[in-house]
Amino acid sequence: MPVRFLRNASELADVSWETPLPVQVANAKPVPADTLLVATTTVTTDANRDLLGSTSTELPTLDGCMQYRKLVWFYFRAGGDSTTYRVLARATDHNGAPLGTGWITLATGTLPGEANTWGRIEIPSAGDGYYDQYRIEVQRTAGSNYTLTSKIVGVR
Amino acid sequence: MSAERITRREMLKRLIVAPVGAAALATLPVREGSAAALQPYYEPYFVAVLWEGRTRCDSLWRSLKGDVVPVLPTVQGTTPYDRLYWTGYALGSAPVNVNMRVWARAVDHNGVPLGNGWRAIGQATIQTPPQRWFRVEIPEGHWDEYRIEVRSATPRLVYSRVIASQGYWKE
Repeated sequence: MPVRFLRNASELADVSWETPLPVQVANAKPVPADTLLVATTTVTTDANRDLLGSTSTELPTLDGCMQYRKLVWFYFRAGGDSTTYRVLARATDHNGAPLGTGWITLATGTLPGEANTWGRIEIPSAGDGYYDQYRIEVQRTAGSNYTLTSKIVGVR
Repeated sequence: MSAERITRREMLKRLIVAPVGAAALATLPVREGSAAALQPYYEPYFVAVLWEGRTRCDSLWRSLKGDVVPVLPTVQGTTPYDRLYWTGYALGSAPVNVNMRVWARAVDHNGVPLGNGWRAIGQATIQTPPQRWFRVEIPEGHWDEYRIEVRSATPRLVYSRVIASQGYWKE
């Protein structure tokens, strides 16, 4: 016996691939985006300096990021001096301790943009993130120090 | 597929006569894709209307809100949204030839922009026959503020609706 349902005010239709049951996606939630960091960094020639100003390579810039599919790094750079950046990531155990020392390098390159311009970098650039910790480092390779104002948004 | 037209009275009779069938409906497996396709509308939380209104376009670069003050955003609070959609309709009997450009910027916890100016997301020329709809998708999401500007050598009115979508995920 075919299963039928009320397709509109006065029409019964058989359930089929062409006319499936009218259901709502009740078990879905909107994808929230959370601001994880807003920071101003003085970009220097120091190696391994992250957005928080730390040169301690084992310290994460962001922690507890497992729930985020990707991070979006927005920045405004006050100087156009040549700058490189590195995005590092790793996973932690249940106690929050990294599974090992060091990091996976997700991205590295020259920070795009001139003086007084905006930038936007997706982390990772392709695929999904879901890493527990990230470390984002910037290093000036020429010119003078300048300030870099960053905002990082986590997208689930 | 087969369908038949019945009256409400007949429908009630069938439901009363066959309650077991009605109970079985609740456990039928359905395709997720069909569920999404059949959903008649998204919850407002998924898709939000950010702005709608009328813009009097002229030779100046104007925000959709009408101002020519570059520091002012057209829409704010757009952090959660993956992408924006601008749907418009230009009045007038002449072909539509409207220049548009989109800017974006991020703000700190106090709502203050991280820096001066804007990031240029893109620009284009909207060219359609008169009195047609157009649609512009702004795929670079999660900026906090956007400024959408238009100008037209031939003055004209543009009706606009800007919406933003978050997408959704299954639990």
